[in-house]
Amino acid sequence: MKKLALILTVFVLCFTVNAQNNNFEMNDSSTTVKPSKTQFMVRGYGHTGLNSLKSEEEKESSFVGSAFAPIFLFKHSDKLMFEAELEFVLEGNELEVGLEYADVMYVVNKNLTLRAGKFLLPFGTFMERLHPAWINRLPTRPLGFGHDGIAPASGIGFEVRGAFDLGGSTLNYSAYATNGPRLKDGSLEPEEAGLLSFNNYEDNNNSKAFGGRLGFLPFSDSSTEFGLSAYTTNGVGKEGSTYEDVGAFLYAIDFSFVKQIPALSGILDLKGQYNNSKVDDAFYTEMHEDGDQEEYTFKNKSNSFYTQLSYRPTMSDSDFMKKIEFVGRYSNFNAPEGAEWEEQSDQYAFSINYWLTWRSVIKVAYQSTESIGGHDGDGTTNGLFIHWAIGL
Amino acid sequence: MKTLHKISIGAIAVFMLTIVFTACSSTKDKYVNATEQKELIIEKSGAQYWGETCNRCHLAPSPADYNDADWETISLHMRVRANLTEKEVKKIEAFLKSAN
Repeated sequence: MKKLALILTVFVLCFTVNAQNNNFEMNDSSTTVKPSKTQFMVRGYGHTGLNSLKSEEEKESSFVGSAFAPIFLFKHSDKLMFEAELEFVLEGNELEVGLEYADVMYVVNKNLTLRAGKFLLPFGTFMERLHPAWINRLPTRPLGFGHDGIAPASGIGFEVRGAFDLGGSTLNYSAYATNGPRLKDGSLEPEEAGLLSFNNYEDNNNSKAFGGRLGFLPFSDSSTEFGLSAYTTNGVGKEGSTYEDVGAFLYAIDFSFVKQIPALSGILDLKGQYNNSKVDDAFYTEMHEDGDQEEYTFKNKSNSFYTQLSYRPTMSDSDFMKKIEFVGRYSNFNAPEGAEWEEQSDQYAFSINYWLTWRSVIKVAYQSTESIGGHDGDGTTNGLFIHWAIGL
Repeated sequence: MKTLHKISIGAIAVFMLTIVFTACSSTKDKYVNATEQKELIIEKSGAQYWGETCNRCHLAPSPADYNDADWETISLHMRVRANLTEKEVKKIEAFLKSAN
């Protein structure tokens, strides 16, 4: 409770400071003060809703806790900025606080920007650009992202990025070095032996991870983008351990097409991303109930894929229909055969969204996930989600 | 995996060096309006960039929701977050500030 009070106090203070910063009109109505180059803003997003899930074994329905993710933007000049995002989530009866990113960025010139700190990784586009609740068209993430996912979300390190205007086409790039992932060797969670954990805030070895993304928008209307991402490290295990030299290579291919099509009287939005992860073979220990230990290994290859199609009839005569969006998504996840976390899952999700404003949306979604293996075992889980997300 | 890692590192290093040299060798460090270029190039308006670029990820924002100073901050944030070109950002920012 003390923690919550402290957080609320900090936010009230922050909003007060922001309000003061933006109070450009002086009391003397004859004098107007120009805003300074140094600016501070609080943005972010929040969401809440109802989840109703039904599987062959259990049925649960619950209002889910409000998640709140404030983003702090400190603009020192036209070239220098610090940004940070916190995430407050209710897990059970506990308030969990996370640091999504905190980095400093400097625009060197029109084609080059430097970034350092904890930043969202441009591994595909979903985690970097599309995951916030008010941007994500569905209340859930596709398979392969988030907890136990194979796609890295963020990292601590250094990055160069930028974009080139090619006279119609556009090329954007990013390349980075980070602490890299940490291999779960099974000593703490035997059922997750072989998984990569990307929450490696304090590096467990001297091997850094290197990666980057190249995005190409071939048409002048920026409607289409193809992206290729790679992420590699030659050491994910703890220094001095038998896993020290276990390497990993991941890549992703992403695609996006967003365009207003008069023949369809609306905006069509098609997106997709394929993720592939390969970790060097290693031996892990399985503990039997009778206390015996057994070493085992497996080909540590995983992949996931999602594609999403949405349509908004923005050219409709009806104001109500203009605010409606129809969304469909398919995603798939394959974890390695022989691993304790072996899984093959397919998921279909559909949603009808109602946009109250450009940054506030109510989503009514149905989702069906069919799994073999995984945390929840074999079976099908169906869910109804009613969520309200708002960008701040 | 070691060979793949070395190839990847090499490719990323070459890629980074090429990009940095290309980016730093750019002589035009500021965006120039078409009208100043004395060339007959049909430029897209800021409103067009706003409609096309913002919608790639989220609905295009309402200009009235923030003041000019806020749009400057948001533009810099979005330039880096969405890896936009300087031209796109400058045009969109100018449109948002003119329309709010």
